[in-house]
Amino acid sequence: MSEQRLGRAAFLSVLGIGGLGLLAGNRISRALSTPLGAAGQVVPQGLKDVLPIGGWRIYAIAPPWPEFHPAKYRLEITGRVQRPISLRWDELMALPSARQTTDFHCVTGWTVGGVHWQGVRLQTLWDMVEPLPDARYANFVSLEQPYVDTLSLRQTTLPNVMLAHHMDDAPLTRAHGAPLRLVIPEMYGYKGVKWLTRIELVPNLVPGFWEQNGYDVDAWVGRSNGY
Amino acid sequence: MAAPTATEYVRRFSLAERLAHWAAASAFLVMTATGLILYLPAFASLAADRVLWKSLHVGAAIGFWAGLVAVVAASPRGLARTASELDRFDDDDRAWLAWAVRRRGPEPPAGRFNAGQKLNAAVIAGLAVVFTVSGVLILLQESDAAFRGATSAILVHDWATWLAVPLVAGHVYLATLNASTRHSLRGMTLGTVRRDWARRHHPKWEAECE
Repeated sequence: MSEQRLGRAAFLSVLGIGGLGLLAGNRISRALSTPLGAAGQVVPQGLKDVLPIGGWRIYAIAPPWPEFHPAKYRLEITGRVQRPISLRWDELMALPSARQTTDFHCVTGWTVGGVHWQGVRLQTLWDMVEPLPDARYANFVSLEQPYVDTLSLRQTTLPNVMLAHHMDDAPLTRAHGAPLRLVIPEMYGYKGVKWLTRIELVPNLVPGFWEQNGYDVDAWVGRSNGY
Repeated sequence: MAAPTATEYVRRFSLAERLAHWAAASAFLVMTATGLILYLPAFASLAADRVLWKSLHVGAAIGFWAGLVAVVAASPRGLARTASELDRFDDDDRAWLAWAVRRRGPEPPAGRFNAGQKLNAAVIAGLAVVFTVSGVLILLQESDAAFRGATSAILVHDWATWLAVPLVAGHVYLATLNASTRHSLRGMTLGTVRRDWARRHHPKWEAECE
């Protein structure tokens, strides 16, 4: 009776496949993403919100996720401004909107490439409220308390920074921060406040939620958080 | 040979084997639960304290390796024999694999482990290493951006999960629900199994038992 060491062969095969995956997994996955993307079109939205399809991972800090009620929702802009405003959902949607396709980078290491965003540029809002000369920072306050993050006023008007209300040609879903989130592709996702409801203009820097937990204030992709 | 009586038991698993098994099983349970909470958007909305779930997840991994090292240190020769037993597939084992696929004819006789159990042990051991390596890389790239994009660690950790969860679920089904095999759970908890059950499922091993 002949014996074969199939146990270690199976063990080493798993290690080999795992090692190959570590080196080339993302490339293999990208090569498959076109056929998988086509198949993804038929996956119902409910399932997409439950499974991390398309590479998204949904992080929240205080359950459950805030709910969006169009009649109750307001975007307030307050603090060091000439004219504080409180915009209803229909008023916000009536503002001129811009479109962009940018990559989304999370500080934990994953990236979703080529996300289509549509939303309002911050300059449009600043023209309405007229920031006072001592307004140097903008605090973006989420409906998900106590999440808040901050940008310098100058950073808010960098190219590709917007308050997005549509993602991939559909209204922003609850998982992605409905009805409005901050998008700043040059920084890691923790700066992109979801479920946005208030912007406060202030003279001095107030560290945001993750900054109070040790993350960098300026979350430049590839140039912060230990890089 | 006398007909086996229902009350006669034979020892199937040593204490070291059982401790190694339950170290892996409990760690897998904790890591699957906390991993799904960290991974699935639906759970992220219910359990938001990522820092807590992450430390439980990583703590279970450290606990598993520490436990395994301790058990191996306590019984190095016994567990080396077990590993060698799991490694070697004889002619009956290879016939068993073909039988398991085709499901025709009588079940080829198994030793203390059948070929499916040997294969399961090898694949799970491989996955434990893959989970650990990719998990350490995920930790590194979370704390140091220099590791970001260097490997596909998150993707590999995900794939390993999709492979390991059905494998373990099938293993648990056979050990707890499936009527003909669930007696094996007694062997993995108390160490002994009924001799008549051993004769039916592991005849070559039962024949060698005192």
